[in-house]
Amino acid sequence: MRGLVCALLIAGTGVSAQTVTREEGMAAWERIFAAASHPRCTNCHVGAQEEPMWEGLSYGTGAVHGMGVKADESRIGAESMPCRACHITAAGRDVASPAAPQIDEAWQLAPVELDWLGTDSATLCAMLRDPDRNDGHDIAGLVEHLESSPFVAWGFAPGPGRSKPPGSVEDMARDVALWGAAGSPCE
Amino acid sequence: MKLTVNGKEHEVDVEDDMPLLWVLRDELGITGPKYGCGIAQCGACTVHVDGIAVRSCQLAAGDLEGEVTTIEGLGTPEAMHAVQAAWVEHQVAQCGYCQSGQIMQAASFLDLNAAPTDDQIDAAMSGNLCRCGSYPRIRAAVKTAARRLQGV
Amino acid sequence: MGRIKTIARRSFLIGSAAIVGGVAFGTYMYKRDVANPLEADLGEGAATFNPFVKIDADAVTLITPRADVGQGAYSIQAHLIAEELDVDLDTVRIEPGPPSPAYYNGVVAVEGMPIAATSETMLARTGRGAANVVGKLMGLQLTGGSTTVPDMYERLREAGAVARETLIAAAAAQTGLEAGTLRTESGAVVLPDGVRLAYTDLAATAAETPVVEEVSLRDPSTWRHLGKPHMRTDMVAKSTGTQDYGIDLRMDGMVHATTRTNPALGGGILGFDASEAEAMRGVQAVLPITGGIAVVADNTWRAFQAAQAVACDWGDTPYIGDTALQFDAVATSFVEDRQDSRFKDEGDVTEALAGADVMEAEYRIPYLAHAPLEPMSVVVKLSDGRLDIWTGTQIPRFVQAGAASVAGLEAEDVYVHVLMSGGSFGRRLEDDYVRQAVEIAMQLPDTPIQMVWQREEDMTHDFPRPLAIARARGLASDSGVQGYDLSIAAPSVAKSSLARLGQPAMGPDVAIVAGAWDQPFAIPNYRVTGYRVPAMVPVSSWRSVGASGNGFLHECFFDEMCHSAGLDPLEERLRLCTHDVSRKVLEAVGEMSNWGSDPGAGRGRGLAFVLSFGVPVAQVVEVMDTGDGIRIDKVFVAADVGRVLDPVNFEAQVTGGVVWGLGHAMNCELTYAGGVAQQDNYHAFEGMRLYQTPQIEVRGLENGTKIQGIGEPGVPPAAPALGNAIFAATGQRIREMPFSKSVDFV
Repeated sequence: MRGLVCALLIAGTGVSAQTVTREEGMAAWERIFAAASHPRCTNCHVGAQEEPMWEGLSYGTGAVHGMGVKADESRIGAESMPCRACHITAAGRDVASPAAPQIDEAWQLAPVELDWLGTDSATLCAMLRDPDRNDGHDIAGLVEHLESSPFVAWGFAPGPGRSKPPGSVEDMARDVALWGAAGSPCE
Repeated sequence: MKLTVNGKEHEVDVEDDMPLLWVLRDELGITGPKYGCGIAQCGACTVHVDGIAVRSCQLAAGDLEGEVTTIEGLGTPEAMHAVQAAWVEHQVAQCGYCQSGQIMQAASFLDLNAAPTDDQIDAAMSGNLCRCGSYPRIRAAVKTAARRLQGV
Repeated sequence: MGRIKTIARRSFLIGSAAIVGGVAFGTYMYKRDVANPLEADLGEGAATFNPFVKIDADAVTLITPRADVGQGAYSIQAHLIAEELDVDLDTVRIEPGPPSPAYYNGVVAVEGMPIAATSETMLARTGRGAANVVGKLMGLQLTGGSTTVPDMYERLREAGAVARETLIAAAAAQTGLEAGTLRTESGAVVLPDGVRLAYTDLAATAAETPVVEEVSLRDPSTWRHLGKPHMRTDMVAKSTGTQDYGIDLRMDGMVHATTRTNPALGGGILGFDASEAEAMRGVQAVLPITGGIAVVADNTWRAFQAAQAVACDWGDTPYIGDTALQFDAVATSFVEDRQDSRFKDEGDVTEALAGADVMEAEYRIPYLAHAPLEPMSVVVKLSDGRLDIWTGTQIPRFVQAGAASVAGLEAEDVYVHVLMSGGSFGRRLEDDYVRQAVEIAMQLPDTPIQMVWQREEDMTHDFPRPLAIARARGLASDSGVQGYDLSIAAPSVAKSSLARLGQPAMGPDVAIVAGAWDQPFAIPNYRVTGYRVPAMVPVSSWRSVGASGNGFLHECFFDEMCHSAGLDPLEERLRLCTHDVSRKVLEAVGEMSNWGSDPGAGRGRGLAFVLSFGVPVAQVVEVMDTGDGIRIDKVFVAADVGRVLDPVNFEAQVTGGVVWGLGHAMNCELTYAGGVAQQDNYHAFEGMRLYQTPQIEVRGLENGTKIQGIGEPGVPPAAPALGNAIFAATGQRIREMPFSKSVDFV
């Protein structure tokens, strides 16, 4: 089954299955982890705390989102203050820091099960390759998510004055495909 | 472009990226929404778009979809909204400059969450800055307004 | 028992403070009447009895000359007049009045004198009298120092009483009835048969009636409004978006402007290129002004955008521009030739603190911005040699004089219209932004120009509360605090801010040690020394001025001494307290907070007491160490202003002061790099938010013999009470602000 998925994936990304070794897969994973564990991603990939983070963004270690913001159980702030009160839903607005970023989707936290904050490489790797724990994505789904999500796109182009994870959306999508083609190795 | 504010349709000729706040204040002369920071940190500019609280300093005119309500459209001195009446009853305002935004935030919040917990009130109202320190009365007024709106 | 006071018209006009011998000013000028500015444009059939009341056929107008910056000054001034005049405030006009020496502040100058509020010596009373003389001679129309109530408490009630009695005399003349048979109620003179003659209908007669010069004030036991909860006059407008601030004025033909001056303070501008900005939509002009540029456009946002598009060549700051170096300058100022004051020197501190068991600590406080939520804004119009200015300001006469000097006009040709302010906290004691707008008007006459600063311009061009360092030494034993030697070094607020108003600042600057030297404790060996740091970036008054930081410096080290010797901080303060009114405040807060009981695991209580602006205030802060950070749960406050005129607003001002004091202590500092303030918007200067706000319980005591204001005195004890509470909960002693550098808050 995995082989089929990989073949499909690779067809879409130009990666040749025969060329992907386990070592190359692990190297791809390390690059994926470097991006996924960047505060730009983990700040919204928080768990049950319902509180976005402002970690590592000049606000200091362990900083939570200012203003006591809570995204609530709804993950969009519906029970208190909707995220979109400040994070306007709009396309093409390259909002500079420190104003609130805008994307063409309702601003929200990632699903509660995708709790990446403080997660080590092996744990996150195991989570991401398991559709039961990664919001139902197989490798192809992950690639598609990366390539189509306005959140991911914004994360790699967060606007003037904001730090960004290493690489690009394309790099990360290719690395996920590579990693998948190598059998999603975690160690 | 056309926009509807407080039930009235307006036509304005502005740049696509002019924030709604300045369309309201300087093009339409609706000055209840206030300028405080320009970066969604103070909430003084809060208005409703289709009933949801939005920082009008962040919403580009070209991205506006829906009807705008400002503090002037929420209620008037002669016919105040329950949130405004609670604000007066508790004498919340000091300098008052932030209170248009506080009230608009509270009104939208109670519309979405009619029976909030204390923690939810804190989370809902902490995006609105008050330099005078009227927070204890904001808490009290939100609770009073919630009771009134529920007819208790 | 009614307190009957006979007031001659002349003494009414000069205020009620007695002049004691030894004042350096001639009494002749002082005793001369100040002209009533309301007479200048009084219409036919309109009457004015004094500078505070005007009546015509349309309305009763009360003049409330102290600025309302959120503290409710308009409302309380109106209530003071109404209590005697018998008018309902929802039926009268309330106006701030024009700039006029008649509206001088007779008590604010006391804050500049080294007179302890608890002192009743001849010298102290002489000094207070002199403050009135200074205020009157200067025509010092100024709002600040929590002086509105103490300064206006009698003047405005007298103004109301004089107007009332004159209206009664007018009614008597009109009806032929005996004045003694007439009474007043709700804006009317009531005849014995119940017929009501509205004041407005009596205006024409009253205008011809000699002003009744002898009046008696009502006894407080008969008050109908004062001392009882009342509705502030601005609540409905401020809850419905209908209150106009300076930023909200709209006039026909008005254009919108903003300015941009060198963010490196004082660096000036060497040149600029406006070609890009001038081509932007809606931009009408890019103009040079002192230190920078102004953009005039048809919309504020367009002006903002264009201002950012002007390429400016800025000069370097002439000041020490980096905060580390600024603190170095403070740290090296504890030297003899910079000693500014030693108003407190009891016992023999040198001898008492000579031993090896002396405690020592250093405390630091940062620069802080005012950052009122309404950024600096003003509307100006210069036309045919007449300059009109609309703005929220605490200093209308200085605004008038400053604008006149910029425009080359006489002060009488400058008309200042004071508006409600969207906060101030001391920022509107400056006229820098008005001067900029006048420079624009001179280049663009005959046009109403609204100038609004961007938030970033506001925060990078503030005149902050100065930084300071305190070096404290002390000695305590189980029998009590034996010695306290507190040295404070800070730049002078008085010298910096008075220079900008064209006034000299003579002698020591009390603000450097205010809230520290003047505390009512009989420590046997007790010394407070002020050191003046040479001027750096310009600084100014910030809510509660010197006491805002000195309370932290004085009270946290006092707490350290108590803990080192196993003394209870409350018991020890009570033991040392020399002032009954203050002692009762301490006792009250002890009772309110259940001081001495076990606060529970992970919890701590901290006490602080500061007497400032004549008001003793004690606070107990209760915190919880949650593991994720410190949570402030409760604050108990007891304060004594002598008489609480409006318990609702009193509570608002105290809680607001607590929030102000806590929020800045927790979260705020203003730092500089190259002379540029590094915190340019609220994301970097948060103050307090609602979720961090504790429950605050307030008790107003009335044991004091003098009535005082409450806008500021609630601030100084908040930070030290928090610091002491964190120590009690965690054992961690914080000696630097903001506290968030040392602990997390949740």
